[in-house]
This record gives sequence, C-alpha cells and structure tokens, in this order.
Amino acid sequence: MNDNRIEKTKIRVTGLNFSYGGRLILKDMNESFEESTVTAIVGPSGVGKSTFLMTINRLWENIPQAEMSGKVEIKFDGQFRDIHDRSFSPSRLRRLVGTVFQKPNPLPMSIFRNVAFPLKLAGEKDRELISYKVREALTKAYLWEEVKDRLTHNALALSGGQQQRLCIARSLVMEPEVLLLDEPTSSLDEKAAEVIEDLILHLKERITILAVSHYLDQVKRIADRIVKF
Amino acid sequence: MRSMKETIAERTFLLSAIVSSSITLIIFGFMLFMALPLLSGGKILRILSSAWSPGNGSYGIFPMIVGTLAISFLSVAISFPVSIGCSGFIGILGPRQLNRYLKKIVQVMTGIPTVIYGFVGIFLLVPIVRELAGRGSGMSVITAALMLSVLISPTMILFFNDSFERVPRSYLEAADGLGANKVQKLVYVILPNAKKGIIMGLILAFGRALGDTLVALMIAGNATQVPGSIFDSARTLTAHIALVIAADYESIEFKSIFACGIVLYLFTTAIVLGVRYLASGRRKMR
Repeated sequence: MNDNRIEKTKIRVTGLNFSYGGRLILKDMNESFEESTVTAIVGPSGVGKSTFLMTINRLWENIPQAEMSGKVEIKFDGQFRDIHDRSFSPSRLRRLVGTVFQKPNPLPMSIFRNVAFPLKLAGEKDRELISYKVREALTKAYLWEEVKDRLTHNALALSGGQQQRLCIARSLVMEPEVLLLDEPTSSLDEKAAEVIEDLILHLKERITILAVSHYLDQVKRIADRIVKF
Repeated sequence: MRSMKETIAERTFLLSAIVSSSITLIIFGFMLFMALPLLSGGKILRILSSAWSPGNGSYGIFPMIVGTLAISFLSVAISFPVSIGCSGFIGILGPRQLNRYLKKIVQVMTGIPTVIYGFVGIFLLVPIVRELAGRGSGMSVITAALMLSVLISPTMILFFNDSFERVPRSYLEAADGLGANKVQKLVYVILPNAKKGIIMGLILAFGRALGDTLVALMIAGNATQVPGSIFDSARTLTAHIALVIAADYESIEFKSIFACGIVLYLFTTAIVLGVRYLASGRRKMR
C-alpha cells in the first residue's frame, strides 16, 4: 500500500519554508501529490495558497524580497527532479508545469496567436504542426467549437469564461504534466465555472492538477483530495 | 460651499490654461509680425530656399534648415536603439539592484545643462572626429549629432521605461507562466504593448534635438553651407538665431531670424500633431 503510493507520487515537497519581506508564510511544509489526481488547496485568504503554487512553477523568483528553502521535486520520465536545481531552467519547468491564473490573462493578440504563443517561445517554426497543436489544445479545453471560425479575432473580445478556457488551452498546448490552477473560476459566473470544472475532471486523466479554490461545493465536485492550509 | 470651491478651482485652472496657450499664440503672432517685411511679395519662398549671403543681399536660411534636420534626425537615429536597449536592460534584463542605480544615474543625466555637453564635446569628441575625418576642424554634423544623442537619450530612456512599466502585469504574468525568458518577454510582450509610449518618446526626443541650441552652436562648426557629408560643418536654425541676435538688432538679417523662428515653430507643431495623431490612432485600433 505504502509502496504503491510512492510509485504514484508526482510532486514531493519536503521542508518547505517561504518568507516574504521577513514574514514567514509557509513553515516546514511536507506534502506529496499523486499522479492524475485533482488536489484542492483550501483555506482562508492570506495563508499562502497561491504562494505555494508559485513554489511549484518557480514564479516566486520574480517576487522581490521573497525567500524559499526546502525542496520541491517533480517526477519527469520516471525520475524525481529537484525543480530548483540550477540545471533545470525555469522556462523548461514552466512548459512542463502549466499555470492558470485567477483572472484570465490572454495576451492582446488573436485567439490563434495566444494559443500558439508558448510554441513560439519554445522555438517551434513548423506552421502545420503549430496549427495542429493549437486546434488540439483548443479542443481539449472545450473551446474549439466556439472559436474555430474566428481564430484571427482578438482574444480580449472573448467572454470571461471563454478567456479562461483559452488560457487553459494555452497551457495545454505544451502538453504539461502538471497544471496549477489559482482560483480558476472565481472571476466567472456559475455557468462558465461549471464548464471549467467539467474540463478539470476530464483533464486529470493525463495531468496532475493542483487547484486553489474558495468554493466548498466546487471542491467537493472536483477534488480527489483536499489539502487545508 | 464645496461647489464654490470647485468653481474657483475650475476658473483658476481655466485661466492658467488660457494664459499659457495664449502666450504660445502671441509669440507666434509676434514672430509673424516681425517677419512681415520678409513675408510680403513671395520673399519667404526665396528665404526658405536660398543661401545665406548677407554680403550679396541674400538672407536665405535653407542651409540652416538642412543642418537642423540632418543633425536632429541623425542624433535620434543614433540614440533610439541605444535608448531601447538601455531601457530594456533597466526595465527587465538587468539585475534589480543595479537597475535602481542605473535609473537614478539616467534621471540625473536629464538635468545636466546642455552647455556642459557642449564643452565636453569640444574637448573629447571634436579631436576624435577630427582624427577620423582626416580633415577640417572636427566640428561637424556628426559631432553635434553624437553629443545631442547623449543629451536626448536619458529623456527617451525614462519615457520608454515608463511605458514598459505601464504594460499590464497580467501580460507579464502570462508570459512568465508560459516559460518566456527575459528577452522573449521583452521582445514579444513588452515592446509590442509599449509601442505607443515608444513612438511618443521618440517624437519628444526629436523635438528636444530640434530645439537644442548650445550643443550645435558649440560643436557643429556653424558654417552657413548645406552640409554635403556628416563630416561637414553645419549651422542649425537655433544656433543661427543665437549668432545673429548676438551681432545685430536692426538690419534685414535680424528680421530673417524670425523666419527661422517660424520654421522651428512649424516643425515643433508638426511633431506635436504627429504625436496626437499616433495616440488617437492607437486608441481607435483597440
């Protein structure tokens, strides 16, 4: 039983401390997350839930005065890798660990170019492959049918729910193994939120998902496991 | 009571707006009036297009117009790429600690009087240009343009930097989250979204280069000829005004400097209109 759990572990966090401007936010955290599950991270605001996500994609490094100690390991190709290792570039990590923010943040460009953007960053030049992958990602994010006739339109003209699904598609285009969602539905109405919840359940087949959420009924619907902060 | 205060405040601001805009108009009207003897009977065209040769009764300012445009365009062409690179470094690429100091230095640089740049140019830049050109005094179009580019760069850098900082955080977060490195973030996200600020900074810097007097006066050589190469000596409209004013008050030569003033005014107006056109054009697109 115990062996089985270790085998399925995707992310392992050991002795994680995080402080911001001298204030300790996360103290000696030990946690592990299993492959192909949705873990809901819950707790009152200001306890460091979003910060915790930032230690898994290393976005915390952009915050001035932030300090972190401890270890975050993720299993890629059957091997645990320390993601803060010098040989592991943040760019590579963030292609394997996708992030979706609280507020949808499409870039001010066309729908197509938004989804193709990570491929461009990764240096992909093959146009056919790019079109194929964009379509695939939009389909996975339940958005293809709604936008297939207006891929060249500005992404900022989409509705909030569509924008958020676009951002999910944009993360999916790199085929990440982990997806971090920071209150992904908090800026959306009920109906748009439902579509995203449904999508999350569908995605967990292949992806390990960590989602910060404030809504208890949402947590009940989507989470395999709950981590309280 | 409050509306009374508001009315007073509104009137005060209205008054200062009227005063400052009318001063601008009055100056323009004054220059037109003073240049009137030249404007009548199509003389203006001759002045704008002919050479400066007071001995032969020719008071044309064409060489100065060319000199002004050559020096200011060249200085902007030199300082623009430098400024973009510099603000990219200060804004994104460089280490945060260093950037704070670099930005302070640039801010100080905006306050240095232009006469300092002028005499530094005489001692440092003029001899080098003289060596490079292998002829002449070293006082030339390129000398003035190089020094002017140092003069206008800080303005551009700070302006660009501000426009970089105004790029919405969510765009930067998106780029970071998708694995963009710093250079990609600058090239694909920040520069395209700061385009308006970059254009405005560029045009303002051009205006500054156009209006500066001392640098060109001190190191461009002041020859009243149309420069044939960047190593030729040239005189700008502003330097011309300063030189003629210092020598004379009554003659037709003196009158001609009002034509210079009008031309400068028109250039500046064209620049401001250009800024406004670009600004409104961007707004419509979004």
